[in-house]
Amino acid sequence: MLSLMSEAAVERKVAPPLWRNIRVLRGFGQAVFVVVVVLAFRELFLNLQFGLDRQGQELNFEFLRQRAGFSIKEGISYNPNQSFVRALQVGLSNTLRVAVVGIVLASIFGLIMGVARLSTNWLIRKIAQVYVEAVRNTPLAVQLVFWYVAVVLALPSGVSGGLSIWNVAFISNRASVIPWVRAEDTFGVWAIFLVIGIAAALAARSWRTRVSERTAQPPRRFLWSLGTFLAIAAVGYVVAGNPVRLDVPKFVDRTYEGGAQLSPEYTALLLALVVYTGAFIAEIVRGSILAVPKGQKEAAEAMGLTPRQQLRLVVLPQALRIAIPPINSQYLNLTKNSSLGLLIGFPEIVSVGRTISNQAGGATQVLLIWMATFLTLSLTISFFMNLLNRAVTRRGERR
Amino acid sequence: MIPGSELPTDLERAPLIIEEERAVEVAPSKVPTTPGEWVRQNLFSSIFNGVVTVLSAAVVLYFGFQLLRWIFVSADWAVVKANLRIYMVGRFPLEEVWRVWASAYLVAFLIGLSWGVSGLRLRWTPRKAALRAVLGVAVLLVLAYLLEGLRIWILTLAIPATVAAGVLLGRAGSRRLRGVVIAGWVLVFPAIIVLLRAFDGVPPQVWGGFMLNVLLAVAATFLSFPVGILLALGRRSTLPIISKFCVGFIELFRGVPLVTLIISGQFILPLMLPPRMQLSLIVRMILVFTIFSSAYVAEIVRGGLQGVHFGQYEAAKAVGLSTTRMMALIILPQALRMTIPAMISHFIGLFKDTSLLAALAITDALRAARRASAQLEFIGDQKEALLAAALLFWVVTFSMSRWSQRLERRLGVGER
Repeated sequence: MLSLMSEAAVERKVAPPLWRNIRVLRGFGQAVFVVVVVLAFRELFLNLQFGLDRQGQELNFEFLRQRAGFSIKEGISYNPNQSFVRALQVGLSNTLRVAVVGIVLASIFGLIMGVARLSTNWLIRKIAQVYVEAVRNTPLAVQLVFWYVAVVLALPSGVSGGLSIWNVAFISNRASVIPWVRAEDTFGVWAIFLVIGIAAALAARSWRTRVSERTAQPPRRFLWSLGTFLAIAAVGYVVAGNPVRLDVPKFVDRTYEGGAQLSPEYTALLLALVVYTGAFIAEIVRGSILAVPKGQKEAAEAMGLTPRQQLRLVVLPQALRIAIPPINSQYLNLTKNSSLGLLIGFPEIVSVGRTISNQAGGATQVLLIWMATFLTLSLTISFFMNLLNRAVTRRGERR
Repeated sequence: MIPGSELPTDLERAPLIIEEERAVEVAPSKVPTTPGEWVRQNLFSSIFNGVVTVLSAAVVLYFGFQLLRWIFVSADWAVVKANLRIYMVGRFPLEEVWRVWASAYLVAFLIGLSWGVSGLRLRWTPRKAALRAVLGVAVLLVLAYLLEGLRIWILTLAIPATVAAGVLLGRAGSRRLRGVVIAGWVLVFPAIIVLLRAFDGVPPQVWGGFMLNVLLAVAATFLSFPVGILLALGRRSTLPIISKFCVGFIELFRGVPLVTLIISGQFILPLMLPPRMQLSLIVRMILVFTIFSSAYVAEIVRGGLQGVHFGQYEAAKAVGLSTTRMMALIILPQALRMTIPAMISHFIGLFKDTSLLAALAITDALRAARRASAQLEFIGDQKEALLAAALLFWVVTFSMSRWSQRLERRLGVGER
């Protein structure tokens, strides 16, 4: 900044010679940079093309239309006669399946462990500490292989039904089967009610805010909006006539029927990601609660707020604001780490892509697809976290 | 929820008390005086807490007992014992292993020397002494099980001896040796590479085991440091093209999983390099890890640069320093000092990530564990094999993170 101003001032009096004119120098420097970068990339690209030519490969995405020919055991419907494109879609769906569920579970688990780290109870504190220190300091790859080989595959055999949990869920080395909710034909009707319910809940919320501001009554926004939503949802449920059904799995004839079946690979990857990321989130939760200045709590205490109120109204809102950016990067890490499914043969987009490039070549194109996929996923997650961040900050300002 | 958050109940009566000393007396003492008091405050402060304590104690005792029984009774650690060499150095030829030992002594001596020069002394409170004694006995027991033969015992015990020699020498020479220590740390890595590779040494293709994990992480961190600094400076540059390029580079490599880069390093990188310049797989992996790491180092350095007070830039300008000299003499020394803890934790992360090499045909510690438990006589011993690999990583990363915490306190990061 300063240099720019002073240079501009000099320029007004006497124009310096070209080789000392800062604007010329800047332009020239960047031009040289661009030329060097372009030449380097051209060299790499030409080498690549030459190498691919020798291998008889072309640098386009045509080969993705070929028949895949390999089977993928889980995810959206697929058969080996479909194309590589379809196989990649299956891989993407599996990545999303493990990443989204993983993010939700890791948040919950990490929050619990982070709060446990700050518990007044010595034993709880120590348990959480041992968990965090053990998990954070060993590689995720080792943990993942451990979960898969030494835990999930070592479960009771699936042929005999495995471990039954009150006959509503089963755990075995062949699959983990849990009860699941399935939509009936009339689900669409109920969905409309649910949307109306959310809108009404938001309306109730702002109405309560206005009432509270006018009359100084406690706003009880959460109770009111939840109540509104539940009432409308219940009416809709009756109108639609049981739009959802609980699907409880059964073990019949050496196979599982119904419920949601999770493959051993999925279970292991999910466990590993949740346990690993949970430890990092726990540290973030702990760190951001501790990072709220001590004076804030003391001030709240001095104003006569109860310990609960101090936590809910003063400490947590500020801690949340500190926590959101690092938690966002943990979510990104979890999503990227789902690619470790490769190590245990979970068919997410990286292992499907690798199978494709082993079969038909095209490693470069596959790399580009991976990059595009993960950059899109990262941007999407960051977008939502930024929305959340803004919401939290604005609420902080309003109060 | 938070200790000491309840107001003392007597406070309501406080205005009635006239003498000030009495008011002080009603404040409850926070520090427990007797063991009984400690237990009451930390384990049974309320009914809910008591229930939680009892339940979790039961769970901990049950699983702790099961774990101990498994470790000492059911588990068969022979798989680790038989494959110790694979774990540590992979397929490194037996007659050349002295090169690895020599490197280990070099590093051990340097660690001891820097410790001695820094003048830090271990503090021996009774609790810490007890902890260290238990730890020492445990390590000795593990070694007693794993190591067989006088030769390997002597070789192993020479490591702490070298550290001790370094400490003594460092203390004796203190100030004068400071330059030697810094030069030593700069030169130790190339020296080790030479030691392993030169004089009819071992080509990188057969480096392996935990040694490879360490070497790869160290190499990538060292090499990515200058690249990362350049990228960070480039990102903050006022030249739009350079700054856009650096942002693109950083965000691209930070946004992509390392596994995809590793796979590309295996299949695509050989094609992209000139045909005359064919690198072995390990060297290519060092390149991949360096590129990956430099994107992260750049962000850490950028954080450090932003942490330098604006006045420092202005002051440097005011005394007439050029941009280059301002960065080199004023800004970077301050910025880099602030990034040390973040750099250590980045190194820890990178070190853990080296286990991803197991996805390729490289015998790192994780792959060594899988290979060991695939041997016919050790089938079914995956737990033992994998736990041994995990423990190797854990020992290094845990001690490094502890060290980093101490360093953070000493540097006073975040206190300014």
